[in-house]
Amino acid sequence: MVTLSATVPSAVRRRALLPTSVTQGVVWALTVVLVLGPLVPLVYTSFRSQAFYLPGGTWSLQPYRSLFDDPAFWQAVENTLIFAAITTVLAVGLGALFAILINRTNMPGGSWLRWLLIAPIVIPPLGLIVGWTSIYGTAGYLTQFVHRNLGLPAWNLSSLLGMAVLGCVVTIPITFLTCQVALQGSDSALENAALSSGASPATVLRRITAPLLRPAILNSSILVFALALETLGIPLFIGTPANINLYASYLYNGWSNSATPDPPFVSAGAILLLVVVTILLIVRTKLLGSEDRFIVTSSRGSSEAAPLNIGRWRYFWSAVTAGFVLLGSIIPLFGLSIMSSVKELTILVAPWHLWTSSNWHDILNNPSFRNAIVNSLIIATIGSVLTVTFVAFATLVAHRSRFGLRRTLPALLVYPRAIPGIILGVGFFWSYLLVNVPGAFLRNSIWGELLALSIRNITIAYVVLYPALAKVSTEFDQAAMASGAGWWTIGRRITLPIVRPALLTAVALMFITLLSDYDPLVFLQKPGTEVMGVTMLQAWEKGEPGQVAAMAVLQLVIVGLVIVGATRLIRRARRA
Amino acid sequence: MPDIRLQNVSKAFGGATVLDNIDIDVGDKEFVTLLGPSGCGKTTTLMAIAGFQHPDSGRIICGDRTFFDGGGRRTLPAEQRNLGIVFQSYAIWPHMTVAANIGFPLKLRRTKKPDVDRRVGEMLDLVELADLGAHYPHQLSGGQQQRVALARALVGSPSVLLLDEPFSNLDAKLRERSRKWLRALQQEIGMTTIFVTHDQDEALGMSDRVMVMNRGAIEQSGTPEDIYRRPANRAVAEFVGRCNVLDGRIVGPARCGSVLVEISETSLVVRAQCPPETADAGDVVIALRPELIQLSLGEASHANQCLADLRSSAFLGDHYEYELSLGGVLAQVQHSLPIPGETALVTVPDLAAIIVKP
Repeated sequence: MVTLSATVPSAVRRRALLPTSVTQGVVWALTVVLVLGPLVPLVYTSFRSQAFYLPGGTWSLQPYRSLFDDPAFWQAVENTLIFAAITTVLAVGLGALFAILINRTNMPGGSWLRWLLIAPIVIPPLGLIVGWTSIYGTAGYLTQFVHRNLGLPAWNLSSLLGMAVLGCVVTIPITFLTCQVALQGSDSALENAALSSGASPATVLRRITAPLLRPAILNSSILVFALALETLGIPLFIGTPANINLYASYLYNGWSNSATPDPPFVSAGAILLLVVVTILLIVRTKLLGSEDRFIVTSSRGSSEAAPLNIGRWRYFWSAVTAGFVLLGSIIPLFGLSIMSSVKELTILVAPWHLWTSSNWHDILNNPSFRNAIVNSLIIATIGSVLTVTFVAFATLVAHRSRFGLRRTLPALLVYPRAIPGIILGVGFFWSYLLVNVPGAFLRNSIWGELLALSIRNITIAYVVLYPALAKVSTEFDQAAMASGAGWWTIGRRITLPIVRPALLTAVALMFITLLSDYDPLVFLQKPGTEVMGVTMLQAWEKGEPGQVAAMAVLQLVIVGLVIVGATRLIRRARRA
Repeated sequence: MPDIRLQNVSKAFGGATVLDNIDIDVGDKEFVTLLGPSGCGKTTTLMAIAGFQHPDSGRIICGDRTFFDGGGRRTLPAEQRNLGIVFQSYAIWPHMTVAANIGFPLKLRRTKKPDVDRRVGEMLDLVELADLGAHYPHQLSGGQQQRVALARALVGSPSVLLLDEPFSNLDAKLRERSRKWLRALQQEIGMTTIFVTHDQDEALGMSDRVMVMNRGAIEQSGTPEDIYRRPANRAVAEFVGRCNVLDGRIVGPARCGSVLVEISETSLVVRAQCPPETADAGDVVIALRPELIQLSLGEASHANQCLADLRSSAFLGDHYEYELSLGGVLAQVQHSLPIPGETALVTVPDLAAIIVKP
């Protein structure tokens, strides 16, 4: 007889500090307040005749009326629509094409190009923009080369088309990844069936593969269009010199360049854009069915297909893809790094004659630059850990609990990224003004910026964590529950440790994003709370592109280090 | 160890009834198997006992503790039921060592570290994995993982052990060995156990009692022998083992629990077992196991014999499976020797057939 020893541990359960439903309720309520809270003063202000801090305001539609009466507003709307349309067509067309070529054909170099195409996700956006102006801008290196040395007509980057091409480079990771996921998820037997019924590889790609991508194309089209509507950096850096405003830069200038900022006016503009973007995203959700359908990727073992042979064309397409990466990302980043170390980047004088360390000297010694670097690092470090922790528990409530309102959470976690950053920033600014405790503290310290940036980007943590969590069998939870563990313990001890690689990925991505994102902070920054992105914007406006380039290179170096470090950590976490 | 009772438990998903008023009574130290085809509700039943599914109505009682009461709307959370569960996937937490997996339930109960270590050691000995405490789950074979899962389920001295198809991920040889090992262990420690499977060999070979489920209801509950030899109805006869289910007509009065039945569209008259409530005359359905039908060469000389045409045969190693046509009906027959020629003499021994509910 086996003795199950007499000293059976007593079945006394650990008493939870708070009932599970209270913990879950707190997580839910915090999410609601932090995501929707900042929008309240925005909506309120847009219907007032005066800023709320001035006396004598009344309910009024005046802000909307003055907006509609401004011809510059309509010009910005028209520009934005054209810019967004071109960006979307380019990004979706090329993204789908590259995804098919890399995932379904025997094009050489696919495994490298795959990573280079999505690299813009981690490249600090301002770095890419400054790099582009240094190479392709009116006074850019290649522009001058083509125009002066070759005497050919050159392109104009400071045009809607030029800006849209850059917009395409920035957004192509989204369309490429969406199509790639769809391709990897679809059964290659569909293509093999067409091959064996006599179709040529080219016909298979055209008649089977591409049509199967239709949902992915629709999905990423709406996403890219919505992102293009709220683009701020490209028009500010590239459009402003040519007097081209997009919607976001119009709002920005309406706030920062007018002698008397008119909060109701800017709020009305913000609300309009918010409504349009929200409608777009609702349409997208309706068209695609549930969010889960495309977030969760199931890799089927049998879908490992032999690539389609596209014959000699494979070299041509390989060159096209490589050319895109080279011209879109690599050369501009190369230009950026040279620009950070020369007095001026020009075709007339070889760069090594203009070598200077003054840009680097400036940004490392000027107190406001130094402040910006330190503050950004603090925000990125603390913000990434806090955000991922918070989102991890919110995701658990959303997908691993019986909490009554859990189904509202996924939408709340995805929404902040849909709110144009500049608008969210205004919302936070006024929220801090309205709610004096702790608003005054937040308004005057980097913690307010940290909060705004983190909330804006919780979506990134969520889209990394949710698919990882969805792959973890619920039997792990049930086994823990049967062992006597409550919800909180299961999350802390079982579920989250299992997705440790995804948590690390999310922290790294958050760090990178928080380091270089700046849209929500353009109105929040004050002397003493400088961050890198906004400081670069101001230096650009002052006409110091060298300093901006140096800052951008610094961002790139930090991002590179974080990626290397994170990759090692994640690999170790996977092995454990 | 307490008994466990389910009373009038019902559950519907959407419009589909998954559990239809089922009653289950498992005695102390009993090993009860829920057997049935996929979708019959057996796993839902197990998950309702475990607390991962909430029935729409009924009661679930374990000893003196009420797990679920549909009338009083009371549900004891899964984590307070003190059950041991082995999942189909084993659900061994991949980020913890074997010892940490097994010790986890104890840590939740705030057991002191020396006690945890001692008890984990005992459990590792019990499941014969004494050397593997520091290993991670991915370093173990399927059979070893299963035993870790079992150790983890048992470590907290659960009141009942629930097993959800624990052998389905093992290969055939290992499955047989694990089955014997688990049954021996269960009998040694005297643990009340509920086992869910769709594999009749497992069900018949391990259980004190088998409950055959079909479409959310319990068709029959009895010892493995009862279930196999005396199936209550056609569904049970067809699901458990291979079986010829034939139409017939009672042609003589009942005597000592048996009755003469003429099998329709054949010349066979066989003496079939009849359950007490069987009528004295009229049409009946009989179940006849293929291995109980005898084949020989020669001429029919008794009423329970007839010549049959061989339709097909399959060689399966230790026996042949034949399909024979007995006049107008087809019958499966199992025989250990090859049959030469196109016809064979079929003999149905007395009491080989049994009358079942249609």
